[in-house]
Amino acid sequence: MPPKSKAATKPSKSLFPPTNPTTTTTTSIQTTSSSEPSTEPTTVLERSQQRYEKTRPFEAARQKQGGSSKLSKEDQKGWICDQLLHLTNRLPQASRSRLLGPKASKEIWWTINGTNSIDRGLTKKPKPHSTWGTDRNGHDVGSYTIERFDERIKKRTALTALLVSSRVFRENVEREKRGDLDARSGCPVIVTEREIDDERVRRSKMAALKKELYGEITGKLAGSVEWEDVVPIPHEEPEGALAAIAYPADYAEAMSYLRAVMATKEYSHRCLRLTQHIIAMNPAHYTVWLYRAACIFALKLSIPDEIEWLNEVALANLKNYQIWHHRHLLVEHYYPTIASDPEALAQFAKQERDFLIAILSEDTKNYHVWSYRSWLVGKLGMWEDQEELKSIEALIDEDVRNNSAWSHRFFLVFSNPEYSTPGKGATEADPKCPQHIVDREVQYAQQKTYLAPQNQSPWNYMRGVLVKGGQKLASVHAFVEEFVVKLGDETGEEIRSTHALDLLAEIYAEKGETEKADLCLRRLADKWDKIRAGYWNWRRQCLQSEKKAGPEQPGEEVTVA
Amino acid sequence: MTTQNFTSLPQELQLATSAHVKYIQSLDSRKDEYDYWLTEHLRLNGLYWGLTALHLLGHPEALPRAETIDFVLSCQHENGGFGAAPGHDAHMLSTVSAVQILAMVDAFDDLETRGRGKAQVGKYIASLQNRQTGTFAGDEWGEEDTRFLYGAFNALSLLGLLHLVDVDKAVDHIAACANFDGGYGVSPGAESHSGQIFTCVAALTIAGRKELIDVDRLGRWLSERQIAGGGLNGRPEKKEDVCYSWWVLSSLEMIGKTHWIDKEKLTNFILSSQDTDKGGISDRPGDMVDVWHTCFGIAGLSLLEYPGLEPVDEVYCMPKSTIKRVLGR
Repeated sequence: MPPKSKAATKPSKSLFPPTNPTTTTTTSIQTTSSSEPSTEPTTVLERSQQRYEKTRPFEAARQKQGGSSKLSKEDQKGWICDQLLHLTNRLPQASRSRLLGPKASKEIWWTINGTNSIDRGLTKKPKPHSTWGTDRNGHDVGSYTIERFDERIKKRTALTALLVSSRVFRENVEREKRGDLDARSGCPVIVTEREIDDERVRRSKMAALKKELYGEITGKLAGSVEWEDVVPIPHEEPEGALAAIAYPADYAEAMSYLRAVMATKEYSHRCLRLTQHIIAMNPAHYTVWLYRAACIFALKLSIPDEIEWLNEVALANLKNYQIWHHRHLLVEHYYPTIASDPEALAQFAKQERDFLIAILSEDTKNYHVWSYRSWLVGKLGMWEDQEELKSIEALIDEDVRNNSAWSHRFFLVFSNPEYSTPGKGATEADPKCPQHIVDREVQYAQQKTYLAPQNQSPWNYMRGVLVKGGQKLASVHAFVEEFVVKLGDETGEEIRSTHALDLLAEIYAEKGETEKADLCLRRLADKWDKIRAGYWNWRRQCLQSEKKAGPEQPGEEVTVA
Repeated sequence: MTTQNFTSLPQELQLATSAHVKYIQSLDSRKDEYDYWLTEHLRLNGLYWGLTALHLLGHPEALPRAETIDFVLSCQHENGGFGAAPGHDAHMLSTVSAVQILAMVDAFDDLETRGRGKAQVGKYIASLQNRQTGTFAGDEWGEEDTRFLYGAFNALSLLGLLHLVDVDKAVDHIAACANFDGGYGVSPGAESHSGQIFTCVAALTIAGRKELIDVDRLGRWLSERQIAGGGLNGRPEKKEDVCYSWWVLSSLEMIGKTHWIDKEKLTNFILSSQDTDKGGISDRPGDMVDVWHTCFGIAGLSLLEYPGLEPVDEVYCMPKSTIKRVLGR
């Protein structure tokens, strides 16, 4: 660029940028750092910054110096010209020439032309983070090398292309719904299987690219073709709620779709799959179970098949009780279809029992399983089912301390409508109960007591049977005595079961042998079961007041001397 | 062994009141914990457990009253019932917790003016009674459990609306759940279980029908829950668990037989299950704490008359002062 002068030499509009920035007119630009020999840019940011400094040298200098007042006179003028050029560049010719006279225009061009500020100049100085944004790892894209940046651009282009094709697909789905006709063939628009498959592939590619470029995670459902027509209902959390929750993305997404289909009361196979998906993440969410049941019933699906699926879930979630209520609902629904077919009933009872045995082997005292089992006995009328009784016996054989099994046995035997009076209290004698049953059960309990004398289950059981049968406790006196050796003897006293001693006290009281009864209770309070001294001493007090035929004083604390 | 000498307990076995208060306050900030969202269906119940513990510890102000009321009311549905969290379907258990919370913070007026009103709540609860069997379901889907029966009695009596349901039929159902060992199960024929026993005995108490209980048999069965370590279990041959300090002890209290267990040993057991640094109580010494066991451990200690605790009502598991204010007794 020739030295600036006011001589009327026509300035030639340079078409090429100065090859050597040191030939620019103003000396101060010459001395600023941007006129140093340019190093090859390593990053995208550097490249753009260099470009900026080349094409907007006056603006770059102003920024570097910290204000136009810091620039040399020539540079100030250069800067003003650059500004004017940019401000007027987009105006129509007529307005431009009104603002800038021909002389001014010429001067501006002389000053600026070599920098190619308009043609190739960047309006804003490139900045880290804001110009290209950040990638999925939070790094400034501007810090990428040129090659890496180019690769990113390629991916973004690919994503855009996919988005375009996907939009075409979605539009075709809409058109098919509306029954639109294809403009060329005149036939109704249909979306073929092939197109759906292609879209599925496309969607997964899009999801992968979005994740790679922006760290965006496309929910499985949002990205799936199957759920295209459903608008999910996100969770409404009141502002600043007490105890708000951050959900994992998967779960939140699935729940938003569940809300949507529950709102429209849709009962379909895809909803069934959705409930399965949610149950896998959170089997304790009871609404999901109830909705699943509704789907099963609405679709009239096979209950035994559902039960088979449920078995697997139950085994994997032993502490969950919704599973058992679900089973209850299923059986209630299924029962009328097999109620009049004894073979089908027996078959179903066997299947159920087989599973109950399997799951109880994992968790022998699971309360929900046992309460389901007792309900099932009543529902399917399994009172006389020998297999049921045998199964319980097997459990007791395995673990004589399994109180649940003992409890179920009592229920199975004594709630049998054959020999129980409906409405009779649990601890009331029932005359309908046959003697041979009472004898059998007492025998059974006694047999099992020997295996673990301190285990309370068979003792409670035996006592319960005697009460039910209206039999005197004294009828088992001899048995009980086997566990109490040398009662009251300072050196030789041996108590093999505190429950035996407890029962012995009751037997003595029944027989009127108050002294002996008191001795039993004293030994329990003082030595063999001190933790329950409060109870044993109350029993002693009862004995005394019975003796005096006075009223009991319930709830009174007794001080032990 | 009638006198408890708590001052003789070693330093480690004192109640770490301020730690527990901080623990409960911190619960609503543990939003990213996996377990916390998995138990979303218990959120309102969790608030009840936390609030009860705070009241018994003598720090009712530790949870903000206005926000508590706002949150509770935000869980209410058109039909009057409350869900476990905003957007969750109405259920008996969360409805009961809601009523209990509002009772404790004295917000029945807010229920009238900003919520659906007591009558609507009562209507919802009453709609869950099975008029044939007398028992109650948890929600429209019908799972029946004596817990729901107790819950219904609890909430309705607090609202003064017990007459909305067939009390006699419900009582008949409880009687049908009685077992040969003196205990009660979840349904007729089911095994006696301390938790179910509490619900049945408390329901009978509210209904004024305690005479149906075989007190001696039941008391004996309950006293047998205490095992050598001093803790109580829920059924024979099961492990001790702090929450049974409530279910078993309150049942004994209701039938007047708390002296049938060793109170000092039980107190030691509960105190040993605390986390004295971070606060909270667990099911047994050494395990992870949670708000459920914190609530029932403290309620148990209150029944055991541990010094410094507010007296707890054995039927409602709420401060006696609240019950006095609401029921006037």
